[in-house]
Amino acid sequence: MIRNLLAAGALAVGLCSGTVAVRAETPPNMLVIGTNLTGIRTFDPADNNARTASELLTNVYDTLVMITADDLQTIKPMLATEWSASADGKLITLKLRDDAVFQSGNPVTAEDAAWTLQRVIKLGRVGSTDFALWGFTPENVDQLIRAVDAHTLEIELPEVVNLDLVLYSLAGASLGIINMKTAMEQEANGDLGGEWLSANTAGSGPFHLSQWRPNDIAMFDAQENYWGDAPAMRRVAVRHIPESGNLRLQLQAGDVDVGHYLAAGDLEALESDENIVIENVPGLGFYYIALNQKDPDLSKPLVRRAFQHAFDWEAIADNIMKYTGFPWQSMIPKGMPGAPEDGTSRHSYDPELSRKLLAEAGYPDGLKKVLNPAGANHLAWTEALQASARKAGFDLELVPGEFTPAFRERNFQVLTGNSGARLPDPFAVATQYAYNPDNSDEARLASYYLWRVGMQSEELNALVDQSMKETDPAARAGLFSKMDEIFSGMDPALVIFFQRTDPYVMRANVKGYSGHTTWSTRWHTVTKE
Amino acid sequence: MSVAETDIYGNSPQGELPPSHVRRRFGRAAGRVVSIVTTLLGLLALTFFMGRLLPADPVLAITGPEVSKEVYDRVYMQLGLDQPVWIQFLNYVGNVLQGDLGTSAISGQPIIKDLLTIFPATIELAFAALLVGIGLGVPLGIVAAVNRGKLIDHVARIVGLAGSSVPSFWLGLMALFVFYGLLRWVGASGRVDVFYEGLVTPVTGFLLFDSALRGEWDVFRSALNHIVLPATVLGYFSVAYISRMTRSFMLEQLSQEYIVTARAKGLSKGKVIWRHAFRNIRVQLLTIVALTFGGLLDGAVLVETVFSWPGLGQYLTRGLQMNDMNVVMGAVLLIGLVFLTINFISDILYRIFDPRTR
Repeated sequence: MIRNLLAAGALAVGLCSGTVAVRAETPPNMLVIGTNLTGIRTFDPADNNARTASELLTNVYDTLVMITADDLQTIKPMLATEWSASADGKLITLKLRDDAVFQSGNPVTAEDAAWTLQRVIKLGRVGSTDFALWGFTPENVDQLIRAVDAHTLEIELPEVVNLDLVLYSLAGASLGIINMKTAMEQEANGDLGGEWLSANTAGSGPFHLSQWRPNDIAMFDAQENYWGDAPAMRRVAVRHIPESGNLRLQLQAGDVDVGHYLAAGDLEALESDENIVIENVPGLGFYYIALNQKDPDLSKPLVRRAFQHAFDWEAIADNIMKYTGFPWQSMIPKGMPGAPEDGTSRHSYDPELSRKLLAEAGYPDGLKKVLNPAGANHLAWTEALQASARKAGFDLELVPGEFTPAFRERNFQVLTGNSGARLPDPFAVATQYAYNPDNSDEARLASYYLWRVGMQSEELNALVDQSMKETDPAARAGLFSKMDEIFSGMDPALVIFFQRTDPYVMRANVKGYSGHTTWSTRWHTVTKE
Repeated sequence: MSVAETDIYGNSPQGELPPSHVRRRFGRAAGRVVSIVTTLLGLLALTFFMGRLLPADPVLAITGPEVSKEVYDRVYMQLGLDQPVWIQFLNYVGNVLQGDLGTSAISGQPIIKDLLTIFPATIELAFAALLVGIGLGVPLGIVAAVNRGKLIDHVARIVGLAGSSVPSFWLGLMALFVFYGLLRWVGASGRVDVFYEGLVTPVTGFLLFDSALRGEWDVFRSALNHIVLPATVLGYFSVAYISRMTRSFMLEQLSQEYIVTARAKGLSKGKVIWRHAFRNIRVQLLTIVALTFGGLLDGAVLVETVFSWPGLGQYLTRGLQMNDMNVVMGAVLLIGLVFLTINFISDILYRIFDPRTR
């Protein structure tokens, strides 16, 4: 018996060691991306707007125009080669290229483009978030978006909107152009092809989905009839590797070329590895402390101001926040039109000043409140906040958990979290931080953070509305600068400390892959040395 | 004579009722069906109401946090959340009885379809882990029992207990670091190397079996290479339990008089241990192994995450993380069914191994 067991063991070891001849690297024409696929529920562009899904969809569905990672302000052609707006700014005409074809071989026409845009609005899912802003509704979209001929698309705006804003939204992965004929052949129960598109693709991009197993792997093969340059990568494998330590080992071993969502500890360890490059990409959002204005204590301006001086953010800038954010304390993201020069260090950590402000507000013995991080990923910096705020007169009882729903329901006292936006324009951030047209509970305007904290400023509302319509760049920059001034002057209930960054980890031999602020990294320029 | 009376062989008078042992068996079977049905209903009710009472928002699971009011309301209605909870529950039970576990709120796929692709991966891993658990645990227990109180007994105890006291995700990461990171003997994540993905069309869903069936030996080796580490880590967890139980069962047998008799008759030590003592603990071991198998399904959650193993544990975790309650309910129901099936199978095996239960 023992002998049999030994023999079986030896056999098993022998079989395994048969593959010990391990590859040092992935094949030269294949890119392996290690990421977290948990959030990907469907491949239907109309149903997606989050980070990982956006990157995958960008490579399958060409958009009408695009924004490259190196220059977020310039809109570049993709399926549309040129575009123009009418004198009153309400009619946008786009000319489509005539050499683009879908996976099926069908040519890409203005009819496909019109149908795709109409579809996003009619379905009304998350993919419509950025595009519906301009006033499109399921009722008006058929009249307003139309194909004039095979390669001319007209988009009529219900109201005047800055042309760049509309074009930015057209560059989003949710508005990737779908092959109408293929999708409608698969339509069931009026879903406009939704169910079929959840696991199949019908785009004109450089890749198509060849295998998909949720929570496991998504495989993309190069598109043979792609209208642009043929991609050097013939296959891109996107693997679900949720455990950061595992992903780090695979990056070091060369089994994975690109890694997303690594934990700070693993990033730190990878930084000294000469085969690894870490790119920290600025994102369009902030890390904030939200103070619920329905709470009588927190609604006092002096208490809100005390919070600005109660957090020792400098102490964590180089460790906890090193890869996920940089110090920034203005509501206009760094480098954007209207962003201030002094945005990096507006709030000083001053426990004495904070206690003094609290005493003036009527709390000489300090203030006790419940502190909730929006999710587990915010725990580390929230703990740092709790510790430094104690010295500044705040006794914050930290209760961890998943508090985004409570935040949306205005059911919290003090909450920490971060935000993200996709349009590379301060307007997108301003709608979250400065806009609140109706402060009543019944309005449930949870997409506006200012509503979530229960704060409202008519002046800011007017400025945000204006910035959507204003066409002169200098005037717009002035509007954003003014918003920032009013926002910081009112001791806001959203206290901003860091701007978010998203770390991308790459093997050094991978060239042409770059993380993208609007999550639309294209793989067809990627090569390996 | 009343109708219930039987003769001394347990047979009732002809033509009136089936013989009593048949009735007993029928009664036992009916009892089991009732118990299975109530267990399942209880399970359904428990998971459903837990899912509905949690302060998680299933709408946000679908839409993401940055969603407009219009979209939110539309999804809320689509999920039927505007109906009373008990109606939602009745609908759910009705659907399950028709074999419809619902649709994943977030993938849009029928749960049953998801489970069919995912479950074989978990079963494959659990079986491999069980082989490791039995392969290490049983010999370890026997060696410890035979050498009771000696050094080897203590070593066996420490080896076994280490497996159940060290957290499996930590052990998994360490094992990965050594056997993948440093030695490069094994694969790190998934069921097979990325180059072999999709080469073998699933027949049974068990990749080792399918690849062998098709003669794709490269895929088979890659799959074996990927399952070895997670299965060992997972299986090692059960070694402590199996080896300790084996040891105490063996000690009990070894102290019996028939063992002394066998030895006195001149039988070799090996024969006494394997032919006599071990033979008599098989039935008890079976209970232990059956319980272990169920435990391996639970324990797989962490190991599956560390090794990116696309199985039920990850599916369930993902459902929980994303508040996809249909997924959670479907997966919990399946685990419940597995436990019931294991009980059923071990009952049958008892009969085969233990003549007294026939």
